[in-house]
Amino acid sequence: MNKLSPETEAPDAALLIAFANGDAGAAQLLAERLLSRTLAQAQRMLGDRAEAEDVAQEAMMRLWRIAGEWRQGEAQVSTWLYRVTANLCTDRLRRRKRSVPLDAVAEPLDTAPSVTARMQSEARAKALSDALAQLPPRQAEAVALRHLEGLSNPEIAAVMEIGVEAVESLTARGKRGLALILAGRREELGIEDDD
Amino acid sequence: MTIEPDKTEMDALDAMLADVAGKKAEPSADLLARVLADAANVQASAAARPQPRGASGFMSPLWAALGGWAGAGGLAAVAAAGVWLGIAPPAALETVTDVFFGSSVTLQVFSADDVLGMGI
Repeated sequence: MNKLSPETEAPDAALLIAFANGDAGAAQLLAERLLSRTLAQAQRMLGDRAEAEDVAQEAMMRLWRIAGEWRQGEAQVSTWLYRVTANLCTDRLRRRKRSVPLDAVAEPLDTAPSVTARMQSEARAKALSDALAQLPPRQAEAVALRHLEGLSNPEIAAVMEIGVEAVESLTARGKRGLALILAGRREELGIEDDD
Repeated sequence: MTIEPDKTEMDALDAMLADVAGKKAEPSADLLARVLADAANVQASAAARPQPRGASGFMSPLWAALGGWAGAGGLAAVAAAGVWLGIAPPAALETVTDVFFGSSVTLQVFSADDVLGMGI
């Protein structure tokens, strides 16, 4: 059985401080730990691989830059990274909202069988992302953290730096808004009713 | 009037969220390389940045032990006070020195007119 080296077991914050002190190996370990999750978060929120890669690279770049100022115990690296990634994603969604009219998202484009067959999970992810873009940014962020990342309400509160009650309100309103935006696209997206 | 989604619409959304939530994303080798290159650049920039004055060199530990500029300022004030006490000791301090060292005594080794000490 392989035994992990002490450095491998080190907390993210300790690795970040080691990185700031010039340890190149710490960057490799942090990237292995955090990049995959950051990329996945961005891709789930944006529904677009290329955009998600750009966001993940930018989020990691911000992590490298803040390393020299990081104070151990102030915040968890993972919480900080969730926040930065979510903010970068909502910035992109906001730009997308300006370029994608509401009608293009809310109304079914085509419900022909051929189109329905083509609708794969990537298309659903993109449609969900477009719908998130139509929500107020804080609602989109809260819904994504709760329902796409699976964070608990207290965890989301820490990421968004708000109270738990505010999280509950944002996720509830955001989810209702999403349901209404997507209601017209169920058939197109291949989502069947449960009853 | 607020429009509320019905149960079917909420269930459909839940299914969609669950579908997307399950998606994994593994970074490509190219993305990992870009991220590590960024890290190397940031480290190189930080290393090339000049150190703040007083934070380098062999005197650095001593400087730090003295408390930097704040500590050195305090030491200078104490030294100045010592010099002043030497020049003009307050009466109370003179009493203390008298107790420890007694009154001053003048010793004359040579007579005033025998400067060379040869008795001539």
